[in-house]
Amino acid sequence: MSVSLDDIENSKCLFVFGYNGADSHPIVARRIVKARQKGAKIVVCDPRKIETARIADQFLQLHNGSNMALINAFIYTLIEEKLYNQEFVAKYTEGFDGLWDVVKDYKPEAVEDATGVPANQVREAMRTYATAESAVIMWGMGVTQYGQGTETVKALAALALLTGHLGREGAGVAPVRGQNNVQGACDMGVLPDLFPGYQSVTDPAIREKFAKAWNIDPDTMDPEPGVRLSLVPHLALEGKIKGYYIMGEDPMQTEADTSSVRKGLEALDLLVVQDIFMTKTAEMADVILPATSWGEHSGVYTCCDRGFQRFEKAVEPKYNVKRDWDIISLIATEMGYPMHYDNDQQIWDELRELCPIYYGVTYEKMGDLGHVQWPCPTLDHPGTPILYTDLKFTAAPSGKGQLLANQWRKPAELTSPDYPLVLSTVREVGHYSCRSMTGNCAALKALADEPGFVQVHPDDAHKLGIQDQALVWVESRRGKVITRANYNERVNRGAVYMTYQWWIGACNELTQENMDPVTNTPETKYCAVNISTIDDQRWAENHAAQIYSELKARLRNAVEEAKPATASIA
Amino acid sequence: MEKATVVCPYCGAGCKMKLVVDNGKIIRAEAANGYTNQGELCLKGYYGWDFLNDTKLLTPRLREPMLRREKGAPFETVSWDEAIKFVATRLADIKAKFGPRSIMTTGSSRGTGNETNYVMQKFARAVLGNNNVDCCARV
Repeated sequence: MSVSLDDIENSKCLFVFGYNGADSHPIVARRIVKARQKGAKIVVCDPRKIETARIADQFLQLHNGSNMALINAFIYTLIEEKLYNQEFVAKYTEGFDGLWDVVKDYKPEAVEDATGVPANQVREAMRTYATAESAVIMWGMGVTQYGQGTETVKALAALALLTGHLGREGAGVAPVRGQNNVQGACDMGVLPDLFPGYQSVTDPAIREKFAKAWNIDPDTMDPEPGVRLSLVPHLALEGKIKGYYIMGEDPMQTEADTSSVRKGLEALDLLVVQDIFMTKTAEMADVILPATSWGEHSGVYTCCDRGFQRFEKAVEPKYNVKRDWDIISLIATEMGYPMHYDNDQQIWDELRELCPIYYGVTYEKMGDLGHVQWPCPTLDHPGTPILYTDLKFTAAPSGKGQLLANQWRKPAELTSPDYPLVLSTVREVGHYSCRSMTGNCAALKALADEPGFVQVHPDDAHKLGIQDQALVWVESRRGKVITRANYNERVNRGAVYMTYQWWIGACNELTQENMDPVTNTPETKYCAVNISTIDDQRWAENHAAQIYSELKARLRNAVEEAKPATASIA
Repeated sequence: MEKATVVCPYCGAGCKMKLVVDNGKIIRAEAANGYTNQGELCLKGYYGWDFLNDTKLLTPRLREPMLRREKGAPFETVSWDEAIKFVATRLADIKAKFGPRSIMTTGSSRGTGNETNYVMQKFARAVLGNNNVDCCARV
């Protein structure tokens, strides 16, 4: 995000789009509450009446899959009502003339049916946002997990550029990164097109710099961007990917369209899984490399506002496990490239030297409770809480902010008589990601357990004859799972919601792979499903309990029944 | 009793907390006054650490290296030495036969941290000779 969490608390207006902080980041959501207490205006755009909507000045309950249409109507309103900041647009942006060509057909009154939002609410929201002293747009997966996610993000950025809500205290754009170190993984070049520090793999001078530091011939480096994770199952089936070394991920639980992922993993010659728990991905591996967990090692994470923070080791690991980077180094050395590190700081200092924007982030500066935000180019630099304070947008050669809008595209898989409901996959406050960690915590398990839930509006449930808390089948064109119906008046009619933590009520058996063409992010916020009742609820309860205990037993046996090898490999 | 300063391993809020350790076991989590969390935690911060005790409520910890001699065979436990040799040999074979781009690697957006992610992308770029390294940023 371009701002800090402090800016969220101190902004005069929070424009929250497709972001449910109360479930995904409770402590960030606290900042939204604090901002409200300090008098900020809150505008929420979401198909569900999420927790933040309850304290909002305005709640725009848009139809699932209509994000781009609504944002185009926002841009239309800013231009038509001359709410935009003409001086800022003239000085710091380019592309204004092209915007109108795209948005001229999105008059708020003309797109009411498409978005479900009354035109006066659209206009009022833009008046609030544009006239605020400062404003932050916050968004989450409700924007990015659509086939048009990238274009939608650009259009949200256009709102900030049109109004000049950038580069100041309390003003900016805040895509709130989900996992504890997803920002860090990207910072460290775990992206197929970027070295650490956001340096391009296609730049020969950058390749040469890394090659020199790593003591290799730059000609052995690949000058082309690599493969994105979401494309691997298909490339494996096509025979283009033969070996897959997965570390600290469970794609069988977390990636869209599980049956496609399963076929892809089965087609590999070699699957190596390095993890802390036996997962549905690990059980498919040819080799399992057990690693130390959080709590058993130290290091540095990057949080959602670009802040680097250190974490310490608390306890000794119990089993015959190794630190992840030690395992990788041993494999590298065995393959003929000597690699050895003594500790985390040695690695950190190596990468600081190679990444100008992190160079000043020393262990000493981070300290025990410190938080240092990149860019931090020099040893005496304090870090950068707010980006773009010079109003230079260097992603474009001109240094000007690019105003970009695109025509709205409907989601790929629309509802039909056979699959009349939209399924959107969301977050669970008490469990996290693939749940291998939180599912093993007694207090969190006690709050919610398998087979999970499908949230359905009571009006839809009554029509379908579904009782609250009854077990039901949810089915899409790709799969069918059993889960528990959960009446929820905050969800919109016509759509149902499942959290992706459940191993039995596994929503990714149902989701589909229509991907954003730029990021290859699957459209996990939208596919078509139906729900059917189960007459014999006693059978259903037994069945759900049985398949859950069978799954747990299978995973446990895979670990506990493994015996020492009888013959060594030649 | 000791206290270790950590960052919560769940969402991206970056909450600082103290793990209170007694006799080598964590007994509770306390909120620390980090920049982002200002002395507050959510329920996952307070109650999300006891997986470290290998409770097996959902699935067990991986305890030692394991491998299958062939597809469909049961896991066998092996020494680290053998596991590392097995992986290195198989990866080198695949690279020789099908080229560097036939191997995919992942970093991790979760508990391992930035250092490991740096080392994994270095492994892909310097040892395998490709840019096939990505993470679970889309989920």
